[in-house]
Amino acid sequence: MFQLLFRYPPAAYARGHFVLLAAWPAWLLLVLIAAFAAALIWLLRRRWNSRTAAVWGLQSAVVAVILLLLWQPALAVSELQPEQNIVAVLVDDSRSMALPNAAADSGPTREQAALNSLQSSLLPALRRKYQTRVFSFDSKIARVADAGGLSQIKPAAPATRIQDSLRQLLDQTGSLPLGAVVLLSDGADAGVDAATMAALAARHIPIHTVGFGSLQPPRDVSLDDVELPAEALAKSRVQATVRVRQNGFASQHATLTVRSGNAVLASQPITLPPDGQTATVPVMFNAGPAAPKTIAFDLSPLPGESNRADNTQSRLLNVVTRSQRVLYIEGEPRWEYKFIRRAEAKDAQVQLVSMVRATQNKIYRQGISDPAELADGFPTRAQDLFRYQALIIGSVEAAYFTPLQQDLIQAFAERRGGGILFLGGQYSLADGGWADSSMAPLLPLTLPSHKGTFVRADLGPDSNNGRKNATAALTSFGGSSIVTRLVDDPAANARKWRGLPFLMDYQDAGTPKPGATVLADILAPDGRTLPLLTVENYGRGRTAVLATSGTWRWQMNLPLGDPSHDLFWNQLVRWLAAPTPGQLAARISPSVLYDSGAAHLTADVRDAEYNPAVAVPALTAHIQQPNGTAVDAPLQASPQNPGEFSADFNASLPGPYLATINAPGFGQTTVSFERFDGVAENFHTEQNRDLLQRLARQTGGEYWQPAQAAELAAAIPYSNAGIATQQNLPLWNLPLNFLLLLLLPLAEWFLRRKWGVV
Amino acid sequence: MKLAIVLLCVAVAAFAVQFGGYQGYGRYQPAPTNERAEFAWSRLQYDPAVGSSGGFGGYGYGFRRGRRGLWSTDYPKADRTFLDALKRLTRINARSYEQPVSLSTDDVFNYPFLYAVQVQSWTFTPPQAQKLHDYLLKGGFLMVDDFHGTADWDNFMLGMRMVFPNRPVVDLPDNDEIFHVLYNLDDKFQVPGEQFVNTGRTYEKDGYVPKWRAIRDDDGRVMVAICHNMHLGDAWEWADSPQYPEKFAGMAFRIGVNYVMYSMTH
Repeated sequence: MFQLLFRYPPAAYARGHFVLLAAWPAWLLLVLIAAFAAALIWLLRRRWNSRTAAVWGLQSAVVAVILLLLWQPALAVSELQPEQNIVAVLVDDSRSMALPNAAADSGPTREQAALNSLQSSLLPALRRKYQTRVFSFDSKIARVADAGGLSQIKPAAPATRIQDSLRQLLDQTGSLPLGAVVLLSDGADAGVDAATMAALAARHIPIHTVGFGSLQPPRDVSLDDVELPAEALAKSRVQATVRVRQNGFASQHATLTVRSGNAVLASQPITLPPDGQTATVPVMFNAGPAAPKTIAFDLSPLPGESNRADNTQSRLLNVVTRSQRVLYIEGEPRWEYKFIRRAEAKDAQVQLVSMVRATQNKIYRQGISDPAELADGFPTRAQDLFRYQALIIGSVEAAYFTPLQQDLIQAFAERRGGGILFLGGQYSLADGGWADSSMAPLLPLTLPSHKGTFVRADLGPDSNNGRKNATAALTSFGGSSIVTRLVDDPAANARKWRGLPFLMDYQDAGTPKPGATVLADILAPDGRTLPLLTVENYGRGRTAVLATSGTWRWQMNLPLGDPSHDLFWNQLVRWLAAPTPGQLAARISPSVLYDSGAAHLTADVRDAEYNPAVAVPALTAHIQQPNGTAVDAPLQASPQNPGEFSADFNASLPGPYLATINAPGFGQTTVSFERFDGVAENFHTEQNRDLLQRLARQTGGEYWQPAQAAELAAAIPYSNAGIATQQNLPLWNLPLNFLLLLLLPLAEWFLRRKWGVV
Repeated sequence: MKLAIVLLCVAVAAFAVQFGGYQGYGRYQPAPTNERAEFAWSRLQYDPAVGSSGGFGGYGYGFRRGRRGLWSTDYPKADRTFLDALKRLTRINARSYEQPVSLSTDDVFNYPFLYAVQVQSWTFTPPQAQKLHDYLLKGGFLMVDDFHGTADWDNFMLGMRMVFPNRPVVDLPDNDEIFHVLYNLDDKFQVPGEQFVNTGRTYEKDGYVPKWRAIRDDDGRVMVAICHNMHLGDAWEWADSPQYPEKFAGMAFRIGVNYVMYSMTH
């Protein structure tokens, strides 16, 4: 229909631009049109009404069309020269093309549909005007012989990498007049990076994409992604976040199982989200003894699932034994101090070093490594304070710390990357002058401006009945946090928290700052809801406020053997200390590689005061490969970032890798990563139309359905690539013009008849 | 020296309260219920064993147990005097008044420190024994005082074995942390009751040698601190008496403060 009126295909108008070929200037046309319209208004001015306005409009339009045609309008467009240009046809041969083309499980596969489309219409149409070269592609391209070569294309490759394939195509055809690319695929790929797009744009090569596969996702449950920390302390609770997507099984239930080898670490039922939506499911398990481990996450298959290969993912977890040293300063002897020490004594990987102001001028130290530790009180040197991974500050006034110590405490979180926990107390938070101190930015809350915020429990008659005292309640964030998980089942955990005994005291800690997260609330006896446990990332570290010193009452008032109090403190202290980096820290990006081995290893080296180290010996990463061999990768210093070293590494084999970096004087660290081949093809098996459309749009091509393949050949000629000439396609003889010249006067005649003036 | 000055101040204050003597029954005001603090001196109210002199009578004079039973020996003057010293000598936020606590309710779990005297006369019902057992294993601390000689020990153990049938009772060595948590108590001596003023004897019954003993938990912490053959409560109570030697009162305060500090740090 479009061409019937406009004579040329839409591609010509999309890539061309409008020109006037007459020798007269374009402004004269506008002047004449305006002059006629104005003259007509002058003539009709005495009888101006809606009818005369309509007649004026129609007559002016007729004159405008005639005048426009006199100026010889044309469409300037670049057109490929027939027989002088090459059109590259790329056919996807990855494993996903073996899936059925339609939503139903039966019928031709995507590959068969693509080949049929090529052989029946597309190739014959292209070959009438252009040279064609056919390639199969997955992560690389391979030329297909013209005679009978198409039948040799089998959908068996483990991955689709359009980006790499296009790069190779550009390299191979650099000296050839490549006019266009036709890409037949289901789009099961991560995408094309900006550099490749820029290279395509530089050669003005349009990519026409033809999409195969159902647009509707199949009836399937998919375990799309797993987030798991790269490292965990031995025997600690670890939280993974699993993303589950499904279609056709809304509100049904599946079982998520976590395994390490044959051992089941966790198993929990999950309720599937609505069709097409992704549910985020936290799952917790015990890390077990120290060792690098592969943790497998598996969703139980449901009856009728079309694809079960996407129900499983695995991740590496490096479980380590590393003592976390935590410094706890308490301003007065308190029961909370005693019970925190008792709880942490059960955690073999936490060494709690504490100092309590027993009298005005005596500090009682516990957990010290040698008699000299903390002998002079709270550290005054960075290298002394930074020996610890976490800091707990109890009922201590801000003014107790000297300005130097206050700066050190801030640097402890910001520069050293440590964790700081502030407890409630009569000398804490607002009541301890912290709101006006230089350390106020450390707190994840804005403290109240008044004092008297600390309230002790009422132990009078009926203190256990009704709401005479403050209790704790989880927030929605706390419900999915490992810190506050007392039992694994989320619903049972919430009930557990609601059933905890009332707190021995509570404190109004103010308002959470933006970026802070409240994990638990205080339900105060006066009806207010106040933040109890608030956490926040700060600099390289993290800070938290626990607005009470009365959790010890949980230990004393729950049944003997109830682990809630100790578990809460173990998890809170581990959260505080475990992520704290050492002087040598490393990371790998990405930590999970799909069908590609390109990884970037970065090491960060700090001196004893956790400033970027400047005098560092040559660093080398010793990398254990899946086949048991090891390679060394030297790291190069970054000229922009002192203390940062990096290396690119190609993980050529699928499987787990373990990189160890040793820097004498700074420590040793390990980082693990894993390559998976042929896994990504199992996920998102519906046609990725968005990617195909985006690829076409950004290169000047179009996206086509297979049934439109014949029309695709007509759109190919209009391109700036290859050998092309500039054409001026005349527009004066468009059928649309003649139709307008007929319909406009007819419309005027019709109106006049209607008004009775004809 | 500092301790002596403190004791003098406490004595002056207590003297003013007592109006000139140690016979001030009724001078102490009832404990107000609105004072809230971190630490409360909690005195264990227990049921007397059959045959014990847990009812009326008893020896001594002044404000003692009246009609409340042996658990209230020296109560409440000893408690309040000790609390004055505790507040003055440490940064413990202590209540000014004592807190009687019974094992018949769950209120005991709000007070992780318990003090009990004349424990040769105590006994427990099975639920009370189980409650005390759980209390101590959860982190509670019990200090027992003012029982003397072999017979008192045997009767004390009858009650203790209802709580812990099998846990051993051990002697506390001089280098135990409980004797060094605040004051270094390397040279301890027997602290007598106020009968020393008239008799010159530091012992009562056949309790000639002071015994500092304990029952520990599975991690080696002291959870029951046993002061056998001594009378710390009397020393606190009579610290303001010019006749009662300061050295005994000083030692009693030091032991008490150390025990409280230990209970709040271990």
